Amino acid sequence: MTTENKEKPKLKMAVYWGAACGGCCVSVLDVHEKLFDVVAAADLVFWPIALDFKYKDLEAMPDGHIDVTLFNGAIRNSENKYIAMLLRQKSKIMVAYGSCAHMGGIPGLANFSTKEELFKRVYFESESTLNSEKILPEPDFKVKEGDLELPVFYNDVMPLNKVVCVDYYLPGCPPQTERLLEVFMAIVNGSELPSKKSVIGAYDKTQCDECERKKTDNKKIKKFYRPWEIEDDGETCFLEQGVICMGPATRGGCGVRCIKGNAPCRGCYGPPPDSPDPGAKMMSAVATMIDANEDVEIDKIIEDIVDPAGTFYRFSLPGSIIRRKL
Amino acid sequence: MSFEPKIVSFLCNWCSYTGADLAGTSRMKYAANIRIIRVMCSGRVDPTFVLKAFREGADGVLICGCHPGDCHYHEGNYKCLRRYKLLTKYIKQMGIDDKRLRLEWISASEGKQFAELANEMAETLRNLGPANIKDKLDFFQKTKSVNEDENVEKEKMEAI
Amino acid sequence: MEEPRIGVYICWCGTNIAKMVDVEYIAEEVKKLQNVVVSRNYKYMCSDPGQDLIIKDIKENNLNRIVVSACSPRIHELTFRKALENAGLNSYLFEMANIREHVSWVHTDRKEATEKAKSLVMAAIKRVGFHESLAKRSVEINPASLIIGGGIAGLTAALEIADTGKQVYLIEKKNSLGGNLAFVDLSFPDLSSVKQILDPKIEKINKHPNIKVFLNTEIDEIFGYVGNFETKLFENTKSEETLKFGNIIVATGLKPFDPSVIPEYAYGKLPDVITSIEFEKMLKEGIIRTKAGKEPKNIGIIHCVGSRNNKYNEYCSRTCCATGLKYANQLRDALPEAGIYELYGDMRVFGKGCEEFYTQTSRKDIVFMMFDQRNDLPKIKANTSKKDFNMIIEINEKLSGEELNIPVDMVVLMVGAQAQDNAKDISHAVGISMCGNAFYIERHPKLDPVATTTDGVYIVGSCQGPKGIIDSVSQTRAAVSRILGTIAKGSVQVEVTTAVVNEDVCCGCQTCISVCPYTAISFNPEKNISVVNEVLCKGCGTCGSACPTGAIRSRHFTDLQILSQIEGIMSLELEEV
Repeated sequence: MTTENKEKPKLKMAVYWGAACGGCCVSVLDVHEKLFDVVAAADLVFWPIALDFKYKDLEAMPDGHIDVTLFNGAIRNSENKYIAMLLRQKSKIMVAYGSCAHMGGIPGLANFSTKEELFKRVYFESESTLNSEKILPEPDFKVKEGDLELPVFYNDVMPLNKVVCVDYYLPGCPPQTERLLEVFMAIVNGSELPSKKSVIGAYDKTQCDECERKKTDNKKIKKFYRPWEIEDDGETCFLEQGVICMGPATRGGCGVRCIKGNAPCRGCYGPPPDSPDPGAKMMSAVATMIDANEDVEIDKIIEDIVDPAGTFYRFSLPGSIIRRKL
Repeated sequence: MSFEPKIVSFLCNWCSYTGADLAGTSRMKYAANIRIIRVMCSGRVDPTFVLKAFREGADGVLICGCHPGDCHYHEGNYKCLRRYKLLTKYIKQMGIDDKRLRLEWISASEGKQFAELANEMAETLRNLGPANIKDKLDFFQKTKSVNEDENVEKEKMEAI
Repeated sequence: MEEPRIGVYICWCGTNIAKMVDVEYIAEEVKKLQNVVVSRNYKYMCSDPGQDLIIKDIKENNLNRIVVSACSPRIHELTFRKALENAGLNSYLFEMANIREHVSWVHTDRKEATEKAKSLVMAAIKRVGFHESLAKRSVEINPASLIIGGGIAGLTAALEIADTGKQVYLIEKKNSLGGNLAFVDLSFPDLSSVKQILDPKIEKINKHPNIKVFLNTEIDEIFGYVGNFETKLFENTKSEETLKFGNIIVATGLKPFDPSVIPEYAYGKLPDVITSIEFEKMLKEGIIRTKAGKEPKNIGIIHCVGSRNNKYNEYCSRTCCATGLKYANQLRDALPEAGIYELYGDMRVFGKGCEEFYTQTSRKDIVFMMFDQRNDLPKIKANTSKKDFNMIIEINEKLSGEELNIPVDMVVLMVGAQAQDNAKDISHAVGISMCGNAFYIERHPKLDPVATTTDGVYIVGSCQGPKGIIDSVSQTRAAVSRILGTIAKGSVQVEVTTAVVNEDVCCGCQTCISVCPYTAISFNPEKNISVVNEVLCKGCGTCGSACPTGAIRSRHFTDLQILSQIEGIMSLELEEV
C-alpha cells in the first residue's frame, strides 16, 4: 500500500473549524497510530488548530487545489462564512464534519436567543463581566494605530449547507474516528463514493438496530424521567423506562456510545435518510407513547418533558424546519 | 387591505372532512381563509406537516378529527391529541403563539360546527395578526447566506 | 421516477362551481406550472363526455398524472379513478381538488373563492407529481353473510339471501325474533295485520336450512375485511362459536324515546299518560282501559313526542304521525262514542296511500288540534275538581288561536325513535360511523345509501334513521342485491393504501406495534424489523406518524405527498416553467 501511495500524488486535505468546541479536530487526532497512514496518504495543507497556516496561504491556493476539506463547526459569524466559501472554492470535496456543520449542533441552541439577547447576557450581565462602559464588539473600530476589524456576529447559527454547497455530511458530536478513517481510506483508495449530498460515515439504520438493550413493543409511558431520576437496570430500553432516548430517530455509526455508557442517546448523529425535519418524527413517536387519552392526564405527563425543543433538536435546531426562535 | 390569515387544515376523511363537505352541501357560508388537506385519520397528522405549514407561511394550522371515542380507526384521534399537546409545547418554545395551532373534534354531521370553527379561527388569527414565520426565516437566509436551503430541500424531494 | 406529465381539469359543475369560481382563469393560470401538459375547464367533468376528455388526453398527450378539481373526492374520486383505468393509467396517479363543497358552496366572494380554489388546485398538482402506481388487490368473497338484528329488516335480509342458497347467520340480542314490530297490532295505511307479515317470515327462518339464528346474542368484535370477516359469538354467554362470513348487514333498528324527560307531559306521574308502545299493547290485547279499569270517554293523542324539538331530538321520527292516525281509526272502531283528539305540530303523513289515509281518518269524527311543537308544548294536568274525567290537556291551539282545555281520561304519547343504546358498541365492532344523533352514516346519502364507509358492511332499516316497514324492506332488498352481486362476482377489490415498512431503514424499535388498532404490525426478530400485514391494515396512517425513523410509509398519504401538497397550498405565486 505504501509503495502504491508513493506513486500516486498525495491527497491534499484541509481541516477547519467554524463555530465549534474543538472536539471535532480532536477526533481527527484520535486516529492515534493510524495517523501515520493518514500522513502517508495525505498532505494536510490547512489546519489552523494544529498547524501554522494563515488565511492568505489559503487565499493563494488555486481553485480546486484541496482534494478534501473537513469543515467542522457551525456558521456563526462572517468569518466562518468567508472561510467556508473560500474553502468551498478551493476544495474538490467539501465535507460537513460533525454535528455543528451538519445540523448546527450545540452552538445552534443559541438560536433560541437573538444576537442582542446574547450580547446583553455575555457583555453586560454575566457574573464574571465588568463592562461599565457598556462596550460591545464592533465590526469596525478605529484606534490610533489604524482600523480594527472584527467578524460580523450573525443573529442565526447556521449549518454549513446554508452558506455553501456541501458534498457529504459526516455526522456526530464528534464523529466516531473509525468512521472518519473508513471514509478517508475510501477516498484515498479511490473507492466509489456515495451520491453527492448524502451522509457518509453513518448508517441508514438508527441506533436501536445496534443497541443491545432489551426492546419490546411495550412503549407506553405514564411518566417521563430524566436519566438521574430512575435506577437504570442497564438492560431495558430507555424509552420503556420512561427516559427519552433519541436512539430510534438517530443514525447509527457512533457504536451506540452513549447507550453503552448507560446514558440515553441525545441525537448527535442526526436523523435517518429523507427526514424532512430532524426532531419532529421523534417528537411524534414519543408523544404517541404517552399512555393517556384524557386532556388533563396527557398535560400532566407532558409536564415532565421540560424542554421539548432542546430535547428533540439538541444538535439540530438550525437544520430544522423552524430553525430558530421567532 | 386588512390582514386575512391563511389557515392550513388537516381533516380526517371519515368525520371532519365529511363534516366540511356537509357544510358545503348545506350551503353554510364561512370565511375563505381555510385550506383543507385530507388525511385518512387525524392520527396520520405528523408534527412535520404542521411545522411545514407554518414554515411555508401559514398563519394558523387547524387539525380536526373524530370526537373522542368515535374514531373510525378506534383511537387515532387520541394519538393525534397526544402529539398535538407536545407539539404545542414545542411551538410555544419556538415563539409561535399556541392560538395558531388548534385541534378540534368535528363529526360527520357537524357541518355547522365546522363552518363556525372556520370563522372563529379566522377571526382569532385576524386579531393576532400575521405569523410572518416564512418571512422571518426567509429574511435571515436572504441577507446572511447563499440561499441553498431551498435547493437542498427540492433536491431531496426530487431524489425520490 | 418518470417526469410527471400532468393533465388538469377544472369542472364547472354547471353553475355550482363556475358561478363562484373563475374556472377559466384557473385553468389558464395553472398551464404555466411545471409539468402541466394539458389544462382544461369543462361543464361537467363527471359526465361521460367529461371523462372521455381525460381518456382522450391521456392517450394523445401521453399524460401520466391527472388532477380533477370539482366536487368532493368522497363523491367522484372513484368515478375518475375508473376513467384513468379505462385509459390504461394506474388509478392512483390521480388527485382531486375539492372546489365545490369546500369552496364555491361555502364562500361568497368570487375573488377570494377563486384564489382559494387556485391554491387547492396547485396543491393537487404538486401532490400528484409524487403519486405512485399502486397494484390493485382483490380478495375472495366468503358467500356467508352476518345479519345483526332480527327485526323486519334483518328478517327480510336473512330470507332474501338464504333463499339464493347462501349461508346466513342471524344475530338477535333479545330472546325472540321480530324486533319492535312484534309488539305492533296493525300497520298503516292499510290497517293490515302485522302478525300476518311477521309470523310467516319467522317461521320460515326457523326452518330454513341456510339460516342459523342466534338469540340472546350480541356482537363483541368483528375482525377482518370485506369478503373475509370473522367473529366469536357467545350465545347466552355460554357456548362459543366462531363464524366466518363475507358481508355484514347491520339492522339493529331503533328504540323508543323515553318521554319522562318532557315535564309538560307528566309521563310517569299521571298513570293514564301512556306511550304509543304501551297503547299498542292494549290494542293487541283488545282491551282499552284506564289504569282504574274504566273505559276512557275522551282520549288525547299527542304527536311528535321527543321529535322535532331542539330540546330532545331535532329530527322527525317519520312513522309516528301515521301511527297516530292509525290509533284514531282503531279507537273509533273500538269506542264509537269516545272523543278522540289528535294533537299535532305538523301532520306528516307522506308516502303512498298515506295522505288518503289522513283524509279518511279526518272524516271519522276525530278532533285535530295544532300546537307549536318547538316552543309551546301542550300541558297535561290532573283534574282535581270533577270526577268525570281525570286529566286536562291545556293547549294553545294554533289554528283557532285559542287556549283550550281538553278533558281526557287517557293520553297516548306518540314517542319518537332513537338510536339503540348500544349503537356505539356496534359501530365500533363493525367499523362504521355514526352521525350526531347516533344513527349510522351511509357512504353517500344519494349515491350509495345502504353501503357504509367500510367495505362489506351495509346498514338497513331504522339503525340508519327512523323509518317504517315499507322503507326498511326496500332498503334491505337494496343491500341484499349489493351483497348477492359481490358473492356472484366471487371477489372484490380492496383498498391498497396500506402502510409499508422500508426494511433498510426500520431499526426494530417496535414503537409502531402497539399503535396499530388492527394488530396488523408484527415484529420479525430475525430481521429485527416490523412487518405490516397488508390484509389487516386499514390504512389509517397512524403508524406512519408514530415511526421515529420514517421507515413506515402510508401509501398514497406519504410524507412527501402531503408535504408537497402543503407547499402547493401555500405557494403565493405561480412558478413559471
